[in-house]
This record gives sequence, C-alpha cells and structure tokens, in this order.
Amino acid sequence: MDSFTYVNIFETKGLEYLLLLSFWALFVYLVRYLSKPAKKRTEER
Amino acid sequence: MNTNVATAGEFNRIVRFLIHELKPRGPWLTTFNVISIPVIVAGLVILCFRFIYGLGSVTNLTQEHPWGLWLGFDVVTGVALAGGAYVITFVVYVMRVDKYQSIVRITVLNGLLAYMFYGGALLFDLGRPWNAMNPFIGNSFGFASVLFLICWHFALYMVAAFVEFSPVIAEWLNLEKARKFLKSLALGTVILGVTLSLLHQSGLGALFLMAMPKIHPLWWSQFTPVLFFVSSIYAGLSMIIFEGTVSHGVFKNLLTPKGHHSFDDMVFGLAKGAAITMFVYYVFKALLFIHEKQWDLINTSWGYWYLLEVLGFVLVPAFMFAFGHKHRSLNIIKTAAVIALLGVILNRLNVSIICFQWYEPVRYYPSWQEITVTLMVIFSEIWIFRWVVTRMPVFSSEH
Amino acid sequence: MDRRGFLKTTLVAGTAALAGDDLGALELRHPEEFVGVLVDTTRCIGCRACEVACGETHDLFVPDVINDGALATPRKTSERQYTVVNKYETEQGDIFVKRQCMHCHQAACATACPTEAMHKTLKGPVTWDGDKCIGCRFCMISCPFDVPKFEYNEWNPKLVKCTMCFERQEKGLKPACVSACPTDALQFGVQVDNLEIARHRIYAHPDKYVHQIYGEHEAGGTGWLYLSAVPFDQIGFRTDLGRTPYPEYTREFLYAVPAILFGVPAFLLGLNALADHDKPTGGMGSEFLTGDEEAER
Repeated sequence: MDSFTYVNIFETKGLEYLLLLSFWALFVYLVRYLSKPAKKRTEER
Repeated sequence: MNTNVATAGEFNRIVRFLIHELKPRGPWLTTFNVISIPVIVAGLVILCFRFIYGLGSVTNLTQEHPWGLWLGFDVVTGVALAGGAYVITFVVYVMRVDKYQSIVRITVLNGLLAYMFYGGALLFDLGRPWNAMNPFIGNSFGFASVLFLICWHFALYMVAAFVEFSPVIAEWLNLEKARKFLKSLALGTVILGVTLSLLHQSGLGALFLMAMPKIHPLWWSQFTPVLFFVSSIYAGLSMIIFEGTVSHGVFKNLLTPKGHHSFDDMVFGLAKGAAITMFVYYVFKALLFIHEKQWDLINTSWGYWYLLEVLGFVLVPAFMFAFGHKHRSLNIIKTAAVIALLGVILNRLNVSIICFQWYEPVRYYPSWQEITVTLMVIFSEIWIFRWVVTRMPVFSSEH
Repeated sequence: MDRRGFLKTTLVAGTAALAGDDLGALELRHPEEFVGVLVDTTRCIGCRACEVACGETHDLFVPDVINDGALATPRKTSERQYTVVNKYETEQGDIFVKRQCMHCHQAACATACPTEAMHKTLKGPVTWDGDKCIGCRFCMISCPFDVPKFEYNEWNPKLVKCTMCFERQEKGLKPACVSACPTDALQFGVQVDNLEIARHRIYAHPDKYVHQIYGEHEAGGTGWLYLSAVPFDQIGFRTDLGRTPYPEYTREFLYAVPAILFGVPAFLLGLNALADHDKPTGGMGSEFLTGDEEAER
C-alpha cells in the first residue's frame, strides 16, 4: 500500500546555494592565483 | 590628523557639490514637464488610496486575475526591455568589442534605472509590502520558489549594475582613487550581471510554469524560460536602438559630433544581432508549435492572435532588421526596433495577463488608475534619467 | 484487496463513525502520514452545515443557508468563505459538491511562496502565515485549483484559504466541517485509510459510483478525495490537470539555477581570456579578477 508522507523535491536547494556561494568566494581567488604566479616565473627566467 | 582634515575637506566639497547639482537646470515649462508632473502627482494620490483602502480600490484585479498591469507590464515586461544592459556589457567587457564602448554607460544607466523603478513598482503590487524584506533577511527562505530566486537576482543585479555604473559617479564627484578601484571591479561585476540576467530573464518565464492549466496552450511551454531569455536579448538590442535614437534627438547638445556619427554605425551592428536573435527565437517558437501539435488551435481567435504575435511582431521585424542592415537604412531599422519592442510587450502581456485564465468569461482590463501609476513609474524614471545625464559624464566614453 | 486490508478498512470506517470529534485512534495508526478528508458526494444532501461551521470556526462570513438561495448558481470559494457547497443538475439528479482547498501532497502554492508563508505541514494541511506573507499572490497564480483568495479591499490583506482546521487538529479535533456533517459525507482520516474506504465503496457498489477517486492522482495527489456518481467534469471539477505534481514543472529550471550560476561565470571568463588581449580595451578592468592591476597601468 502506498503511504503519503511529506515530499519536498527542493529540500537540498539551500545547501546548493551555500555550495554556490563558497564556489564563488573560492573562484575569485583561484583565478587570481592562476594568473599571478605564471607571470612571476617568466620574470625569473 | 592631516589626513583627517583632508578627508573632512573632501567630504565638505562633495556635499557642497551635491547641493549645487541638486538644483534644477534648464527651462521648467517644457512639454514633457507639463505632461509628466500632473501624471506623477496623480499617481502618488492613487498610491495613497491603494495603501489605505487596499489594491481593490484602484485596480481591476480579481481572484481570477491576481496579476495585472503593475506586474505584467512594469515588472515582467519592463525587465525584459532592460535586457540591453547585460547584452551590451557582455559584448564590450567579456567579448572586448570596442565598437560599442561609447554606449555602455548610457545603456547600463538605463538598465539600472529600469530595474530600480520597474522592480520597485513591485512594492505597490505586493499586498503586504512591509514584509518585503522577508525573502532577504533569513527568517523565511522559500528556496523552492522561482519568485524567491527572482527577488534575490533583482537585488544582486541592481548592486552589480550600480557597481558597473559607479565609475561614472566617481568621475562626476571627482574621486579619482575611488573611480580606479570601482573600474577594477568591472569585469567581475559584468560577469556576475550577465549570469544573473540570464537567470532572472528566464526566471520571469519560469514564474508561469506552474500555471500550466491556466495559460492558453499556445503560450505555455516547458521552454518558456528559454523563450523569455532569447527574446530579452533582442528586446534589449531594440531598446538600445530606440532609446539611443530618442536621446540623440533630445540630448543633442551633450554629444560630441564624433559620438553622434558612430552611433549610426553601432545601430547597424545592433540590427544584425537583433535580426539573428529574432530569427532564432522565431524558429524556436515554430519548433514548439510543431512538437506540441498545436495546429488545431490555430483556426480560432486565440490562434489568430498567436499568429499576429509570432509572424507580425517577430518574423516581420526580423526581416526588417536584416533588410535594414543589408541596405544601410536607418529608418527601416528604427521602425523594426519599435515593432520588435511592441512584439516583446505583446508577448509578455499575453503570457502574464491576456492568455491567463483565457477561458474565464470575465476578462481583466487595467483601470485608469493602474495605467496612471504605470505612467508615473515611467515618467519618474525619465526624470531621474534626465537628471543624471545632464550632470554625470554619461555620454562621453571612458578615458 | 486482501482480507487483512478489507478488515482494516471496515475497522477504520467503524472507528471513524463511532469516534465523533476524538481522533486519537486514527492518529495512532499512522502518526507520520498525511491526513485528509474523503468526500462522498452521493451522501451529501446540500444542507451547507459545513459552510456554517467553517464560518463560525474561523470568524468568517456565516451564510444564511435557509434563505440566501446560494445553491442556484455554482460558486467559488472567496475571501469570505473557505468552503462552499454547489449544486449540479445531472442525469443522476441533483448532486451537491463541497469545495475547498484540496491540500495537495506536493502543493504548488507552498512551492511558489517566496517566504514559505504558504506551508505544507508534515501532517498534510497547507497553512498560511501572515507574518511571513508578502502578498505577492504567486500562490494564486500557481494553484491548479484556484483556491487561495486575496482580500483586495483591505489595507492589510490576507491570503484566504482552507487550513483543514490545522489548529483544531493540533488539539485532537476533526476539522469543523467534518464534525458538522450530518450524513457522513465527509470522512476525516489518514490518507491511506481514506483511499481504502473510497476503493471499498466503489467495489461494493460498482453501479453507484464512477470508478475514479478524484484527488488520488490529480496534480500528484491531494489530501481531499472525492467520490461521485457522475463523471467529475459534470460536477465542476477540472479533469485536465494531469497527474504530475505541480512543483515538478519548475524542477528542471530550479535544478539548472546553481549549475548556471557557477558554470556561466567560468565560461564567460574563458571567453574573455580568448578575446583579443592586445587590443587597447580602454581599461576593461579584468584587474579585479586577475589581480594584475599594477601591471596594466
């Protein structure tokens, strides 16, 4: 027999958005990190 | 100590400058003022009634049509027409096409003001606006809601657009350091702004996904979000052409001759973009029509209305844009822009108002009060726009 | 239906009939499951006692059922009434149908609400919280049954809809309309049991009922179930709503949102890197992201 209980297909939305915010915060630093050291090394050589 | 004195002096300078700038300039008795001032006053009076006696006292909203002109036109349509800002910043900042550099500032300003006023118009329409901060302050996040998403995207996009525009303000206030810093944020905010625009333009379409049984099948589709996004691109492009033409007529004295000349070149480029996007949009519409096997619906009055929108206001202006681009005809392009804009307005109103509860015998027509308030919103936006462009270096390109 | 199921059903039907206002026995059986109401329109006599009870319980408009002649034309629920009873003339004679919020299992209104003011409780009723509501009326747009109603003529408007007497249920009472019904046309209970009772009635009287339980599948299933002697489209029900729970229609879009929000910026940054860097860009300002502000100046 089927049972009828609470189903929320968007239960994880909040967590997804949190993940997103942390991604953005890290992403800016990742891009900065990736673009900076490359330049310094060429200067050293 | 010295720096404190310097900062205080700088602060005093800015305050005195602002007071000076706030004074009105130019003649008072212009045609626009004579028309707009009474409308704005009337709109404010109507809003007083609305907040004392409820929405029903000034609007024709019913239980069957909970969203009327203020939502369907001001918010859903107004935001689509403000799409130019994200399109042009994408082209100039992300794709680095310098050709359109000189219209970035004016377009971003238009977009920012449109969001502030048309998004702000949402506050009149909310039944309990004093709770309007609830989706933001964290006591009740409706994560599952499309509207929740749109609220956040509107707010974030306004911040992004403001940062995009802020170098102009800094330049106006003569704050060189701030201007340099704000300009360094440009690419980041543009990327954020384009992404947010993509989502809230399509999100406005997603608002109507759950209204499936209530919207005429010719206007409801699972792909409404995609359609809204694609049409917002050409709506934005057409709006740039339209607004550019108007402001080049009105604010002629603020333009350098070179700027005026290159605007025509830009129009041809924008027309090309609009023609391509509109054609893509049209084929998308046709694909959905075939896939949903909707030919039975065509030979009805709703079907003719649909054909008018899709053929008359999408396909025709698409060809006009293409023809105007090919034959270097500014007049054809400008006419096409107006038709395309009307087409977008028609489409948004169809989805949100006209074809909503299409089977109900009682139709919704906006009341004169709703129309007055809508005009008030538009006019007050133009007032602010005029104030900004006559004071800030909006028409000059970056230096 | 197997023997055990049948016994259980009759037992439930029996207890429900005996229990009156007390629903302790029902709650213990499946404490974690949705409750709902089974409406047997063949039993309804159109007395509208439910309308009166509802109005009195919720301090709403109480209709003058004897004199107002409201059954003449079908009505909708309004900002004054959570529930209405309509009369339909069919080949089976006059049929009375009580309408109110259906309390969908996956409620479109609760999904639509940006502030969770419309709230699907764990027990099944969909309730409304005025402290959270911003009055956007998106619930009205989304509800497939057109249930939420708005007080357009109030400065402080409420969204008005049936709450399945959630406050009464908290106290262990049945919804007011169910308690007021003199003919057992309304049967309050756990959804599973209500479905079994409904099926049992159809099997036991195959000629009396159409073989459909409205609300079993409509809009993904609703808390209120209806039995009828005539096809449901003849008594004011929409039969074109589909079986998909309405939140599913926005599922793809909302799933795409986080993906787009992290995918597109990265894509745009990549495009920007591909675009011609040698051209003078008039201070495009990639300095913020790439951190080479000094280098470009």
